[in-house]
Amino acid sequence: MRRALLAITGLAAGTTALVVLKGTPGTGQAAPDRPVAQAPVAAGGSAAPAPAPSGVTPSARPSASAKPSARAGAGRTPGARGGTTTRATTAAPRATTSAPKVSTRTVTGPTVAYRYGSLRVQITLSGSRIVDATGLDMPVGGQEGLRADDVQARYSGSSGEVVAKQSANLDTVSGATYTSTAYKQSLQAALDKA
Amino acid sequence: MTLVAAARRPGLRRVEQIMGTAISLDLADDLPAATLHELAGDTFAWLREVDARFSTYRADSEVCRLDRGELPLAGASADLRAVLERCADLWTGTDGYFDAYATGRLDPSGYVKGWAAQVASDRLVAAGAPNHCVNAGGDVRVRGHAATGDPWRIGVRHPWDPAATCLVLTGTDLAVATSGVYERGHHVVDPRRGAPATGLRSVTVVGPDLGVADAYATAAVAMGEAGIGWLDRLPGPWRHAVVTDDARLLHSRALPLVP
Repeated sequence: MRRALLAITGLAAGTTALVVLKGTPGTGQAAPDRPVAQAPVAAGGSAAPAPAPSGVTPSARPSASAKPSARAGAGRTPGARGGTTTRATTAAPRATTSAPKVSTRTVTGPTVAYRYGSLRVQITLSGSRIVDATGLDMPVGGQEGLRADDVQARYSGSSGEVVAKQSANLDTVSGATYTSTAYKQSLQAALDKA
Repeated sequence: MTLVAAARRPGLRRVEQIMGTAISLDLADDLPAATLHELAGDTFAWLREVDARFSTYRADSEVCRLDRGELPLAGASADLRAVLERCADLWTGTDGYFDAYATGRLDPSGYVKGWAAQVASDRLVAAGAPNHCVNAGGDVRVRGHAATGDPWRIGVRHPWDPAATCLVLTGTDLAVATSGVYERGHHVVDPRRGAPATGLRSVTVVGPDLGVADAYATAAVAMGEAGIGWLDRLPGPWRHAVVTDDARLLHSRALPLVP
């Protein structure tokens, strides 16, 4: 009976985790700076600690929308950047009894469409317990890449083109600060001699 | 020959090594040679003075003495106090990505070079030389027209080829600052992570003030790709161009490009 109860609790946790994963793209987009935290807590008290956000918005580093209030950089997890398959493990439900010997299996969910594309979630279960959740088909570059594309779409026709060389009649050149030595090889030096 | 060249092209051009870089001055006004030399002399004297007072490499500079606590803030020059105020404003205005204390000690260099060149340009206008170009190690302030009579043409260095440009801007009243990781390696540090910034190879900011433009460009590089969105939300007169690490070029629609 107890075992059955555990299984039901586990299933509830699993369902919640899937809902969280599904629901996250919107959340991550609306509040990219606070990716985790406010995930719903499973009814059974088996808090699945929001596996999704770090997976769906791999870029948890300060987003473009970060305002001064976010300066402290609280809640940033720099390591998450670029992790296209960032994983987040769910905490095991608190089992008070020793778990029975169970096998591990992997389940891949359906493809879910969201604003920036589609993704699938893969969960690994040990018995009825989720021990791993991974977002598949995550966009490369994650949220930042998407932001860049957003910006790109708002730019003029020359946006996003491969950087090309231009030659023109120049008076001066703007560039990253060169040392006095590097100046000698610079285009500016050539112009100054002209 | 020299006389012919001088007759065809009025003004004066001079380069000096100050602040660890080369500063090029192009005076395009058709003024007497003695006047032009005096103007150039005053300009470079000002830039050397700024270097002596604001350098973090000179132990006796005002900045170093203030940083060591030997000079009380109240005893600092009006210039230094103004610079520190601007740096504080820029820290707020860039979400903390422009940080004069990023290295753990006071280092306002990221603002000072552009500011010094901007002040030099302002002084030239006041002194009766409204047509000039000041280029402080890649940070450019142009006013009026070049000696050819055309608006100034400012190339933006190609981030992978020191001998090429990737954009050419034109204007009669522009500050153009470029920050990038190609000249001195990944030296721009994301002050929040304490790690070198990646994602953007080069950021050029165009606007009315060279000190602010330089600080904005540095901050955007420190932000990485998020800097693109940040730049896009800058108000009114500010324009920008960005080259990403994967060689994409993005720029404001209203960037003053050569037609």
